[in-house]
Amino acid sequence: MSQTPQPDRVKYAFIFPAFLLVLTITLFPLIYALVVSFQTIRIVPPVPPKFVGFDNYAEILASARFWGSIQVTAVIVFVSVALQYVLGFALALTLHHNVPGASLYRVSFLLPMFLAPVSVALIARMLFHPVLGPVNEFFTLFGLENLPFLTSPSFAIATLITVEIWQWTPFVVLLMLAGLQGLPSEVFEAARVDNISAWRRFRDLTFPMLLPLSVAVVFIRVIEGFKIIDTVFVLTGGGPGTSTETLTLFAYNEGFKKFNIGMTSALSFLFLIVVILFGTLYLAAAQRMIRRYQ
Amino acid sequence: MDRTTFRRLGLGLALIWLAFCLFPLWWVLVTAFKPPAAVSGGATYIPFVDFQPTWQAFRDAFSGVRGDFAGPIFSSLAVSLVSTALAVFLGAMAAYALVRFEFRIRLLAGLVFGVLSIGGFALLNQGAGLSVPQSLGLVMLIALPAAIWLNGRNLPGPVLGNDDVTFWFVSQRMFPPIVSAFALFLLYAEMNKAGVRLLDSFPGLVAAYTAFGLPFAVWLMRDFFANVPVEVEEAAMVDNIGRMRIFFQIVLPMSKPGLVATSMIVLAFIWNEFLFALLLTSSKWQTLPILMAGQNSSRGDEWWAISAAALISIIPMIAVAIFLGRMMRSGFLAGSIK
Repeated sequence: MSQTPQPDRVKYAFIFPAFLLVLTITLFPLIYALVVSFQTIRIVPPVPPKFVGFDNYAEILASARFWGSIQVTAVIVFVSVALQYVLGFALALTLHHNVPGASLYRVSFLLPMFLAPVSVALIARMLFHPVLGPVNEFFTLFGLENLPFLTSPSFAIATLITVEIWQWTPFVVLLMLAGLQGLPSEVFEAARVDNISAWRRFRDLTFPMLLPLSVAVVFIRVIEGFKIIDTVFVLTGGGPGTSTETLTLFAYNEGFKKFNIGMTSALSFLFLIVVILFGTLYLAAAQRMIRRYQ
Repeated sequence: MDRTTFRRLGLGLALIWLAFCLFPLWWVLVTAFKPPAAVSGGATYIPFVDFQPTWQAFRDAFSGVRGDFAGPIFSSLAVSLVSTALAVFLGAMAAYALVRFEFRIRLLAGLVFGVLSIGGFALLNQGAGLSVPQSLGLVMLIALPAAIWLNGRNLPGPVLGNDDVTFWFVSQRMFPPIVSAFALFLLYAEMNKAGVRLLDSFPGLVAAYTAFGLPFAVWLMRDFFANVPVEVEEAAMVDNIGRMRIFFQIVLPMSKPGLVATSMIVLAFIWNEFLFALLLTSSKWQTLPILMAGQNSSRGDEWWAISAAALISIIPMIAVAIFLGRMMRSGFLAGSIK
């Protein structure tokens, strides 16, 4: 029972438009897709729908391409998020301590995350051109000419990770900086008076106090990172072969090149399960780590 | 002693990052003005020294000799502006309700809703042979009132509060978008068959993007409203002014900075979005990111053209970033991280 019995029916008028929109656009189509995922349906060539139970799911779980795409996505996401976090936190610290020219950095550090990943990937394609690009020119200084930045599997993954770091480190900077600015300054004043070194102040005060925020930031970046398609779509198209094909790109290729709709629906639900599974594991581990620090 | 070392390290890191950050932008800016010879001869960097700049790429883009640019720019503008306005408006209303009122949702009613919708749809669509849009509409008409009625009963089981409702909205963002985008594509295709054109259409795209932007709007606006002093509203309530009028005439004007910041962020997300546009458009309503993705195959080595296109798509967002950077300096976004 609520303490103040208000006749506030009007609250439904406030929330229902948004609620109905999410329901019709995001959730109800999922029901249809769920039903489709247990059928074989093809548009081209048209095949009448047939109920096949878990066949679609079994077929995907048995396909090497699915596991390959999970591996590619996981490598890109974990390596790039780890580097984004370290770099972003370090940059937020320097901005927080007002290095000379901090106001100039602020805007330029924010920029990349507001640009369309597709455009960023197009720019990266020019930069990483193996013959005409400036990155090639840079490596030529060290005697490494015409490296296959986009055409050899490991180089292509490294290039994708670089682009991800360029684009999304700003997000970490933005949130960690906001977190740093919200810390109580008295504690740090006291620590400085007690002559505690900068490194220990960071290790024993700043880092533990920002741990919950760090957990949230890394979580958001990982979840967002799993969605990656646009950068890969433009930069490598999943190639060479399928060596840089991410989960979303794989699902798109299944759906729009093979027009195998039942399969794509099943794949997208498996993807959902992967994300939920991972999210739960991560949050459980993070909770444990936070508790240990407090 | 170690203080200055850390300062120097920090400054060095900041400078290196600044160069890393700005170089690609410098590159795309100068490349858009390069004549073909300045591209095919290897990397060139400085206009007037390395090459003679030219406006040719922009003239080509806007004269339409190299494919339609104006069309995608128009659809991107129309779709993102309208969906941003709708998403922020609906999101603000929902966020206000979540801050000022108490919601109690019984988990059991929610579960019944889920089971009724999925089971009902399977039954109507597969069993009774109704078309997909028909069955979905019917299911909603049955399941929603049933769940609302159940929610009023005294059912056992956990009760969800406002934080859970907020989480429900925000969790839409945690979904891999391919799941909902593909499902939406299937539904739109069915609607097209039924004669309602939603694939590759303005209403279809706006509906999708409004739902896409809504979670951000709810999340960000909730914090802004939480900081609006409640006293003014209480005074208005004493004067017997209705909630709706309070919201539109007092609360909304008071949270204008929050509305502007939220709109900017939502606009940036929608303007840059790729996957929904890729699945839901085919020709007429293609947005800018789709056009951009096509550049790569259609004119591989014409870097000046690619750069001009990229510049056109990123310039509005540079303005947005500068604007938000200013706001951030006044500690404006600090509230949203809680």
